[in-house]
Amino acid sequence: MYVHYRQRLAKKTALTTVPPTTEDHEGERFRMRKLLLTSLMTLAATAAFSAAAQADPMADANAIIAEHEKMPVFDPPGEAFDAKACMAGKKVLSIPISMTIPFNVELQKAMAKAAAEVGFTYTTWDNQLKSDQWIQGVSQAISQKYDVLDIAGGLNPEWLGPQLAEARAEGLKITTTHFYDVTQEQHASVDYSGAVDYTGAGKLLAAWAFAKTEGKPNVLIVGSSDVLPSIPFVKSIQDQLTALCPECTQKHLDVPVSEWATKIQPGVQSAILADPGINFVLPIYDSMSQFVVPALRITGAEGTVKIASYNGTPFVLDMVREGQVHMDIGESLGWSGYAAVDNMMRMLCGLPSVKKLNSPLLVFDEKNIETAGVPATFDDGYGDAHLEGFRKLWKLQ
Amino acid sequence: MTTIDMPAKASRPAFNIKREGERFALVAAWLLLIVIFGTLMPDSFLSWRNFSTMFGSQAVLVVLTLAIIIPLTSGDFDLSGASILTMSSMLIAVLNVKHGWSIGPVIIVALVSGAVIGAINAFFVLYFRIHSLIVTLGVGTFVNGMILWVSQSQTISGVSMTLVEWVIINRLFGIPLAFFYALILAAVIWYVLEYTIPGRKLLFVGRGREVSRLNGINVDKVRAVSFIVSGLIAALAGVFYSGMTGSADPLSGLNLLLPAFAAAFLGATTISPGRFNSFGAIISVYFLVTGITGLTMLGAQAYVQNLFYGGALVIAVSLSQLVRNRQPQDFS
Repeated sequence: MYVHYRQRLAKKTALTTVPPTTEDHEGERFRMRKLLLTSLMTLAATAAFSAAAQADPMADANAIIAEHEKMPVFDPPGEAFDAKACMAGKKVLSIPISMTIPFNVELQKAMAKAAAEVGFTYTTWDNQLKSDQWIQGVSQAISQKYDVLDIAGGLNPEWLGPQLAEARAEGLKITTTHFYDVTQEQHASVDYSGAVDYTGAGKLLAAWAFAKTEGKPNVLIVGSSDVLPSIPFVKSIQDQLTALCPECTQKHLDVPVSEWATKIQPGVQSAILADPGINFVLPIYDSMSQFVVPALRITGAEGTVKIASYNGTPFVLDMVREGQVHMDIGESLGWSGYAAVDNMMRMLCGLPSVKKLNSPLLVFDEKNIETAGVPATFDDGYGDAHLEGFRKLWKLQ
Repeated sequence: MTTIDMPAKASRPAFNIKREGERFALVAAWLLLIVIFGTLMPDSFLSWRNFSTMFGSQAVLVVLTLAIIIPLTSGDFDLSGASILTMSSMLIAVLNVKHGWSIGPVIIVALVSGAVIGAINAFFVLYFRIHSLIVTLGVGTFVNGMILWVSQSQTISGVSMTLVEWVIINRLFGIPLAFFYALILAAVIWYVLEYTIPGRKLLFVGRGREVSRLNGINVDKVRAVSFIVSGLIAALAGVFYSGMTGSADPLSGLNLLLPAFAAAFLGATTISPGRFNSFGAIISVYFLVTGITGLTMLGAQAYVQNLFYGGALVIAVSLSQLVRNRQPQDFS
C-alpha cells in the first residue's frame, strides 16, 4: 500500500523526497537511471533547439521582415463599444508638440476625422514648438471645460507637470498619443497612453540590416536620447543585432533633435571615415536621412553604405523611390489617428487601455514604394482596412 | 637756413613677432589639432578622404559666414542670413521639384530673393534709422514664416541631380566642388576689401560712420549695398545647401546662424586681427570642424563637441584680447 502510494507520488512530482526503504532500492536505481536519461535527452533537445535557432538567425531575421511586408490587416485592439452613445457631449483638446511638423499635422487631421465620424468635439491646439503656447493650451482646456486633454506627437507630459496636475484637479483626463514606447511606463500625470511599438520597429531595422548584409552588418545607429522613446528604440536595435549576430559591430551616434542639422552629417562622416567597414546607417527617425545622405555622398560611400529608417515620412519615401534610402518602415497616420481616438474613447467609456497603439508597421522598399504614391503621402500604400475595422468596433456600422 | 620736415617715406611696418604670432596663432592651433588627432588616429584621421570630407562638408557654413562678415565689416549685424539661406533652399526645392522648373532659372530666382530680402533689411535700417539687430531679427522671423507657408511645413526631396553633382559629387583633387566655390568667393571678398575703392569704403564706414560721411563717403549707400550683397551671398549658401542635401526643409538651415557668427568672430582674431576677414573666417570654420571631427572619430559624445565649439571660441578670442592688451572690442 505504502509502495503504491510512493510510486503514485513519484509519478506526480520529481521534487518529492521520501526516505527509501530496503525493498525498493532496485526500483529506485532504475528510476534514477530513467530520470538521468530523461534529463540528458531534454538537455540535448534544448541544446539542439537553441543551436538550431542560433544556427539560422537569417531565418529569424527574414521572418521578422516578412511579417511586416504583408498588407496590414485590422486586428481589433479590444472589445467593441457604442462610441456614439458614451461620447455624446464630450470634448477633447489635443496639444501636439508643433504644428510646423508635417507628421503632427497629418496625425491631427486623422484624429479630427475619427472624432467627426463619432460625433464629438475635437480641437487641435495649434502651436509652433513653444512652451508658452502649450501652457496656454492647457489653460484653454480647463477654462472651456474639456473632458480630455491629449498630449500628442512627441510632446513629453513631464514638460507640463504643474499644468497637467491643475487640469487633473479640475477633472480633466489626460492622455498621450504617439509618445511612449510599449515598454515604457507612462508618467503619473497621465491616465491613458497610445503607446507606439518603437521596440518592434527597432527589431525590424536590426533584422533588415542583418538580412541585407548577408549576416555581416556593421551598423551605425543614429539616435536622439533627448526624445524619451528613442532610448528603448535604440536599445531594441542593439539587442536584436546582438541576438542575431553577437560578434557584429555596432555604434551609436547620439544627436539631440535641435542639432540634427549641424551634427548628424559630420557625425556620420566621421564614423564612416573612422570605420570604413560600416555598411548600414540606421537613423531611428527617417527625417534624419536628409543629413545622412550628404554624409554618404561626401565620403564616397553612397551605394556601399545603405540607409534604413522608421516613420514613413513622405519625402523619405520619395528618397526610397529614388534609391537614396534602402528601406523605410512606414506607419499609416490615418490608422494611427483612428487608433489614438479609439484609446481615448475607451478611457471615457470605462474600458481598459490598449497596450499598443493599433497601427501596424509596413516595410517600404524598392518592391512596393510605388504604392506610397508619387510623390509619396502619409497614408497611401497601407490599404483602408482600419476604416471599416474601427467603424465596426465603435458600432457605427 | 630753413629746414622743412618732410613726411617719412611710407614703408612696410617692421616685422613684429608679437603681431605675426597673433595673426597666425589660430593657424598654429589648427595644425596642432591635426598633429594631435593624426598621432592618435594616423590611419583614419590623416587620410586624404578625411580632409576632403571636412573641406567639402563645411562649404555651406563658410559661404554663410562670408555673407554675414560683409555687413559686420560695415558695422551692421545681419541676423536674417540663415533665414535667407533657408528661403533660397526652399524656393529651389519648391520650384524645381513641385513646379518642375529647370534648375538654372530656379537658382536665379533664389539669388534674387536673397538680394530682395537684403534690400528690405537696408530699407528699414537706413530709412527708419533702426538698429540692424532689430530689423534683421524681425525680417528673419518674417522670412521664417514665409518659408513655412511656401513649403506647407514639408521637407521636399528630389532636387535636380545636376545641382547635386555640381555641388557635392563632382570633385577636384578628391574635394567636392562646393569647397572651391567657397574658396573663390573668399578670395573675391578679400580682394574687394583690400584692393578696391568700394571695399575700402566699406571698411571706413565700419570704423567710423561720421568720419566717413565727413570725408564724402555716401554711408547709407555703402551700408545698403552691404546688406544686399550679404543677402545675395546667403542665398548662394542656400543654393549650395540644396545641392548638398538634395532637399530642403523649413527649419534645419536656421541652425547655421550661430555657428556662422562664431566663425566670423573667431576669424576676426586671425590673419587680420581685429577685423572681420574672409580667410580668417575660413580658417576658423576648419579649425572648429577639425576639432569636432577628431573628437567624433575618437568616439566623443555630442555634448563634448559643444564644449569644444564654445570653449575654443571663448578661449581663442580671449587670448587674442590678451595679446592686444585687452583693448575694448568695437564691432559696431
